[in-house]
Amino acid sequence: MAELTRALRLYWRLQRAAMRGAMQYRLNTVIGILTGAVYQGSGFAFIWVIMHTFPSMAGWSLPQIAFLYGMRLTAHALCMLPLSSLIGIDWLVREGEFDRILLRPLNPLVQVMAKRMGVGQLGDLLVGVVLLAVAGGAAGIAWTPGLLAFCAAAVVGGALVEAAFFLALSSTALRMLDTFALRVFVDDVFSRFGSYPMSVFGGVTQWVLTFVLPVAFVAYVPATVVLGKAVVPLAYASPLLGVALFAVAYRIWAGQLRHYQSVGA
Amino acid sequence: MIRVEKLTKIFRRPRTFGGPFGALRTLVTRQYDERTAVDDISFDIAEGEVVGYLGPNGAGKSTTVKMLTGILTPTSGVVEVAGRVPWRDRHANARAVGVVFGQRSQLWWDLPLVESLRLVGDLYDVPAARFTASMKRMRDLLGLDDFLATPVRQLSLGQRMRGDLAAAMLYEPPILYLDEPTVGLDVLAKQAVREFILDTNRAGRTTVLLTTHDLADVEALCKRIILIDKGRVLYDGGIEDLVGAYAPPRRLVVHTDDGSHTYELTEGLKVPDLLANHAVRDLSIEEPDLESVIKRIYAA
Amino acid sequence: MIRSLRGMARIGLRFQFAYRSEVVLTSLTLIAQVFLLRMVWTAVYGERRQAADLTLEQLLAYLTLANLQTFATMPVITRLAHFRIRTGTVFFDLARPVGYLPQMAAFQAGHTAGALLLLSPVVPVVLLVGSITSTSHALPYAVALALGYVIGLLMALLICLIGFWTMETGAISLLYRLVSQFFAGTMVPLSFFPGALGVLADALPFKYLGYVPAAIYVGRLSSAEIARALLVELAWIAALWALLWALWRLAHRRVVINGG
Repeated sequence: MAELTRALRLYWRLQRAAMRGAMQYRLNTVIGILTGAVYQGSGFAFIWVIMHTFPSMAGWSLPQIAFLYGMRLTAHALCMLPLSSLIGIDWLVREGEFDRILLRPLNPLVQVMAKRMGVGQLGDLLVGVVLLAVAGGAAGIAWTPGLLAFCAAAVVGGALVEAAFFLALSSTALRMLDTFALRVFVDDVFSRFGSYPMSVFGGVTQWVLTFVLPVAFVAYVPATVVLGKAVVPLAYASPLLGVALFAVAYRIWAGQLRHYQSVGA
Repeated sequence: MIRVEKLTKIFRRPRTFGGPFGALRTLVTRQYDERTAVDDISFDIAEGEVVGYLGPNGAGKSTTVKMLTGILTPTSGVVEVAGRVPWRDRHANARAVGVVFGQRSQLWWDLPLVESLRLVGDLYDVPAARFTASMKRMRDLLGLDDFLATPVRQLSLGQRMRGDLAAAMLYEPPILYLDEPTVGLDVLAKQAVREFILDTNRAGRTTVLLTTHDLADVEALCKRIILIDKGRVLYDGGIEDLVGAYAPPRRLVVHTDDGSHTYELTEGLKVPDLLANHAVRDLSIEEPDLESVIKRIYAA
Repeated sequence: MIRSLRGMARIGLRFQFAYRSEVVLTSLTLIAQVFLLRMVWTAVYGERRQAADLTLEQLLAYLTLANLQTFATMPVITRLAHFRIRTGTVFFDLARPVGYLPQMAAFQAGHTAGALLLLSPVVPVVLLVGSITSTSHALPYAVALALGYVIGLLMALLICLIGFWTMETGAISLLYRLVSQFFAGTMVPLSFFPGALGVLADALPFKYLGYVPAAIYVGRLSSAEIARALLVELAWIAALWALLWALWRLAHRRVVINGG
């Protein structure tokens, strides 16, 4: 426990230092946030334009899909805000920066996480939370404290599902494997497919997106619970999946760390 | 303080493939390329020693240092640093060693130097009072005051290296690893770095392991050197003994009107004959230096 | 001059091939995108035969085509210029005896040629995942697409020039890509855009990169509309050309002052 509070304190110290460094490039920071917001906003604009002509998509109304989209986006932002520096892990390993991380008495993952602030993800978070708030009111949900708590847990659980895949794939960089393009692709699948009711895809695709690459658990499954569309009671347990998957991913990371091969001779 | 016994490191890398599906094939392959970087090395370093760890590029110096710091796990053999196995007990080991890479700074690029030092103090849990005392010592020894408030990216190479030395010794580790600490520095900055190392060693009995290509560093700092090549130890002992054992013979240079001629001073050289055959204007004797000795060993 | 431009185009082509392992995964992204669009649109059409004057078959053919087009013609020079301005290597480009903008244009042309070559094995898969119909407007389609490509190239060159002022075009070029793809109608045909958004999309030149050629292909536009569209494309090219020329004179002066 003392070790954990120490790690959190140092994470915050390092992250603040990184932010102070980044603030020297203020214009870049602002444009970064803006681009994040526009990127996610244009994804939602697509849905909005379609549903202007068609009132429902696989039985979901616009406010309901907006709620789903908001949940997915907020989960994504919560996942990437702390983990965005993992995007650069190939670089950290190649440039030998990771050696220095291993020379310091603090968990290497915490040090990588504190390397950089995910500025673009602030834009994601902004759009996600606004969508959740607006759609949460417009979708006709009978909010209770319990449902609200479930919703919060589900967003965190969804973030952990995505984080688990991101972390596990990133950890291959410790063995000098180049999986950058693959990571971008998986991230893209999460973003692209996670924001729609899975029944749109049907058949094999729905099955794959539920049980192989569990995109459905980031937002769709918990959203069916909140919107009163859940078909299986097990959907209520969906936030726990994120915790389990992330635990597995951390084990994979730790395993790859033992096989770390530094650059050079 | 440092004990290394039959240490071996074999690098095993998944074979990389080209072609359109190269990345995916590399990811799933079971084929590996192997390379032995460190091959059955043994040595002991006592507390307070300053040892030069020398070898040509690719000899296995960095790999050894990385195993001593716990960055790499040995393939076989024993490493013990201050009674600990570094790779198994990385955090405790980290607190016991300071590491300076001449080529790579550990300082925060965009922040003033003083902020970097504070962060290092936090990371190593240095209590406030000790931090102040330690900082004062560093400021005096390394003359940091002129550039403490300057962002690291604006420091000159010599200033940056002084900052890195301060960061490595701030938490007063008993062991200091230096990997080419004077590379690229001018004469005065090199002198400052050497004096700091000597002072740290004298004042705190800090054990120092130094890898460098600058033999002037070694002559100024080390009594003992370990020479390795192709992953194996070639020599381990005092500098004088090395020069005595491996030195090429001293050379006699005879200067005449038509230029100068060099002869190795061996038993067979008949100096009177030589003097008779040349119209000698001057004579000089060249003493072998460490550089010529090491060149000879590498070439063998 | 022609020789050195051809050399630049060859480098652009090689640049594309150097990243061919990434191309495999980006092709997968394209396939996923087309698949997603097919599923989403099929779901919203449901029992409906037609919406905004498009049958589902026409719409799917339109989307498949529009996405293939954007993917193949994606501008790379905005990224390249960003990198070269930041690292200062842009001065080598400026020192060459050929104009900076023709060099960039040649590089992009070579890069696009590389994309077409690499894309050719993927096309059948994309068509299988999406869908395609035959067309009776092959010639006007090709002309509209070629002109659209020139419009896209000119706009990409404009973005490159902005870098001489801001020194930083990374975020701007990403923003440009998002906005241009949205208004090109790669996910939704422009005829679905409601109200003011529709008016805006119709007025902007981005539609010639995606919507207009693809709509000609699926027979959505009448002969008169096609003729008008081609004329407007030519007008856009002339206007953008003039703007580019004026901006280049300013940018060039700026560089000379900076460098001196």
